[in-house]
Amino acid sequence: MTYAKQLKMPGTALVLCALLAPGAMAQDKVTLQWQATALSETQYEPIWKEMVAAFEAKNPNVKIQPVIVPRKDNWTKFVTAAQAQQAPCVASVPVPTAAFNGYLRPLNEMLDAEPAEYKSVWTENGLKALTFEDELYGLPFYAGIYGEIYNAGLVKKAGLDPNNLPETWADYLDWTKRLTGADQWGTAVLAGPTDTTMRVLLSWIYSNGGKAFNDELTEATFAKDPKSLEAIKFYIDLATKHKVTAPAPATLNYNEQTILFAQQKIATMRNAYWGIAKVLSDNPGLKDEIVVGAPPANAPDARTVATVTAMSISSSCAHPKEAWEFIKFMTEPQWAVKMVSASNWMPMRGDVAKDPAVASNQVVQKFLEMGSTALTIPLPTPAWEQIANKDVVAAVQMALEHPDQVEAIFKELDAQVTARLQEK
Amino acid sequence: MSVATRPATAGQADDVGIGVASRSRSVWRGPGLRRERRHGYYFLAPALLLTVALIALPLARAFWTSLQRTRGLRSDFTGLDNYLYIFTSTQFWDSLRISVIFTAVCVFFHMLVGLGLALLLKRAVFARTLFRVGFLAPWIVAPSIGAIIWVWLLEPQFGVVNYMLSGIGLVDRYQAWLGTPSLALASVIIVDIWRGTPFVMLLLLAGLQGIPKDQYEAAAMDGATAWQQFRFVTLPNLRYLLIVSSTLDLIYTIRHFDIIAVMTGGGPIDATEVLPVLIYNTAFTQNNFGRASAIGIVLLGIILLFSIFYLRAMRLGKARED
Amino acid sequence: MKTPVHIRMIETVALLIALAIMLFPIYWMVNTALKPAAEVFQSPPSFFSANWSLDAFRTLFETRPIGRYFLNSFIVAGGTTVLSLALASLAAYGLTRFSMRIEGLVILALLFIKMLPEALLVVPFYQLVADVGLLNSYVALILVYSSFALPFAVWMLIGFFRVIPRELDEAGIMDGATRLQTFRLVVLPLARPGIVAVAMFTFLTAWNAYLWALVLTTDPDMYVLPVGIATMKGEYQVQWNELMAAAVVAVLPVVAIYSVLERHLVAGITAGAVKG
Repeated sequence: MTYAKQLKMPGTALVLCALLAPGAMAQDKVTLQWQATALSETQYEPIWKEMVAAFEAKNPNVKIQPVIVPRKDNWTKFVTAAQAQQAPCVASVPVPTAAFNGYLRPLNEMLDAEPAEYKSVWTENGLKALTFEDELYGLPFYAGIYGEIYNAGLVKKAGLDPNNLPETWADYLDWTKRLTGADQWGTAVLAGPTDTTMRVLLSWIYSNGGKAFNDELTEATFAKDPKSLEAIKFYIDLATKHKVTAPAPATLNYNEQTILFAQQKIATMRNAYWGIAKVLSDNPGLKDEIVVGAPPANAPDARTVATVTAMSISSSCAHPKEAWEFIKFMTEPQWAVKMVSASNWMPMRGDVAKDPAVASNQVVQKFLEMGSTALTIPLPTPAWEQIANKDVVAAVQMALEHPDQVEAIFKELDAQVTARLQEK
Repeated sequence: MSVATRPATAGQADDVGIGVASRSRSVWRGPGLRRERRHGYYFLAPALLLTVALIALPLARAFWTSLQRTRGLRSDFTGLDNYLYIFTSTQFWDSLRISVIFTAVCVFFHMLVGLGLALLLKRAVFARTLFRVGFLAPWIVAPSIGAIIWVWLLEPQFGVVNYMLSGIGLVDRYQAWLGTPSLALASVIIVDIWRGTPFVMLLLLAGLQGIPKDQYEAAAMDGATAWQQFRFVTLPNLRYLLIVSSTLDLIYTIRHFDIIAVMTGGGPIDATEVLPVLIYNTAFTQNNFGRASAIGIVLLGIILLFSIFYLRAMRLGKARED
Repeated sequence: MKTPVHIRMIETVALLIALAIMLFPIYWMVNTALKPAAEVFQSPPSFFSANWSLDAFRTLFETRPIGRYFLNSFIVAGGTTVLSLALASLAAYGLTRFSMRIEGLVILALLFIKMLPEALLVVPFYQLVADVGLLNSYVALILVYSSFALPFAVWMLIGFFRVIPRELDEAGIMDGATRLQTFRLVVLPLARPGIVAVAMFTFLTAWNAYLWALVLTTDPDMYVLPVGIATMKGEYQVQWNELMAAAVVAVLPVVAIYSVLERHLVAGITAGAVKG
């Protein structure tokens, strides 16, 4: 699906050229476009370049054309192309929303055609997160499991023991109070305009055994579920009542949070393993200062959040067979292991977790342990993007502005999100 | 300088202008009028062709989409449902209100500051090029890049604005400019004033240079004060240009997208969600193209209304001058 | 008419303060671009630093195809300028030299285009360009940008062309020149100050445009500067010094062009479009 590059010389010939627009060039080679935000990450770049070269060497009739895209515009670019039936063959996009809109191709047939042992390498959780209305729409590319990450240097300075991390909310509150001082805060509450805000909020709700949605996914229960509401109140209180969190939460996203952590302005952060990679690239001096624990819990059935990033095939793809081979290839253990070590992306395959390089990494094992009981997102509703990027963000921002009305605000959110879930 | 570079044969002032000319004056009465007119179309054709192909077709498609209920690749015709939905949704009216505030405040300050700077610049005695390019610089920077610079300036923790303003006790040390609803709107307005003023300044400066010196000399001879000279010489001469530049600026500002999209994306709590940003969010976050297109068409209608006012104002202005 | 010295002083000081405020963000961009990464988050921030260096620029050019983005931007903005001016000057000539009944309508239509919200047209535009197979081409970008730059260009050029007396055309025709020759040899040279001004506007518009370039190109080799710069904001790293260095690279050429041609800009507008 490449188009001939056009005249490089501008001039009057341009008008003519527009009229004589060339079609696709005739060629025997199959070209697959591959769009993912991961491609613009510096850590992943050498890995995917090596992987693409290896794939092309193995499949001489296929050429991979990477589409590098600004992170915040990934979805815009994909949708625009998908609406014209020109979407990149292989893409990493929010699965439920894209599947609902008819942009993705179901993969069940292709997966079923694979030998049983191949199917068994995928964790059930991972596949479930990419299933929409009983159809599978992607293979898990990597996961992020949310834990609590501590700066051991600051912890020690405050007279606390980094080998004995807080396990309950009460301990955690005590820690963050003691870690707050001049120009330094215990942690950060996130309320910036990205879905990270919701991920962190969910991790707090789950750590109290709470639920933000009912099982049938027909109703939001942020305020309705008492355990969820309790967690939300505790989380908001950290900022408004106890003031142990960094200022200006409504401007804090993933990126700002990791910068604060790297600059030693906050002592702990709720984040996935990749947050450590970011911190160390900002401040390599923290290399031996990072300790990871499970999110402090307030209930025996506490769990955490795991996000699953998928690789999917677009519905307009003319070469699904080649695209499937490519997706399978890029998720193979040899690349997945490299992704774990270079980009801190968690694998979603059993065989990768057992790989010696992965198994010997204590931090990775800690995350995988949390991941074994984690609840995965996205949930299978087409409104997921709207809920995660807009509705929940606005509710958290409002709660921070009006801490006395948290319950009313999240009741309102329940009503709004429930309406979206039930919209046909 | 201005006089020297003007074509030596420049016609009467009233023979010049943008906008709709009074037809009687622009007719060239000569032999073969009809054939001549056809030639005129030949000259016009290439521009019209490009415009029709690249604007009219997509616009028609967008209008068609606004009549559909869209779900990704599927769509059903629903007539005016999207429009009905918009007019009954508080989100639209909130967004319209924010758009009006944003546009009105920005245009007002663009004009005020632009005029002030133009007056000062015209009288500057040294380093005129340096001053002019310096003042134009914010407008030269791409809005998408300028907005990134400002996000960095306004960063609560590490931003230099908080450092300087808290240093002199004006704001809190960690003021969340883009994270507090009221401050966020004020912030994007300030950034847009920074970006938009230079262009108005440029147009008005050009206008000031076109005012014949003898008018000032005559006024001075009559003993007019500086204010009176401004009031009775400068302003009347600039009147037409003030209308043109404020209208152009209004059209540009009400559909401006880049700065708010980069700085706040419409937040926090929708406090900066002007109509163009609402269109974008409806299309690409809610994935509702039908509704997004309908809002776009409504916005277009609003801008058209403004333009009609503008054209009438200009025609009136002309009539008065004649 | 003499202005007292103290008023002159106050005016100059006011100008200098205003200039300092307007230029501060740009100064901060350059300042950040010159700082080493470790100093970017230093608190309090430094207004200048002994450690200023061009390292961020070096890294930028080594790790990103900035040169390629630059070339693409230049071709697209240059092409847009040439195409828009060619079409706009023809149209403006047609509109001012012939008794066109549709003049008012054309001008209205042109104004109308300036009003279109970009987000409304993203998807239809993409479909159109994809249908004719022009994705990832300079041609598509140049045509799209031109269609948006045309209205302002025509609008301004009409002002310039009106000032040039018809008698000159008539004299040309009397001498046996064709319409096109008269246009080219008589009218265009006289309108030059205006054309330079319009060219500067058009170039800037095309150089700075983001959204269209983002959706109409998928091949990184075809990215223009604003899109290329946007890809630098990754999940893992926003290197502020490199990002600001890229911004400097994007801004510098236009500032240079404007510095050299600035006189023409004001003079051009004065000569033509601003009088009523």
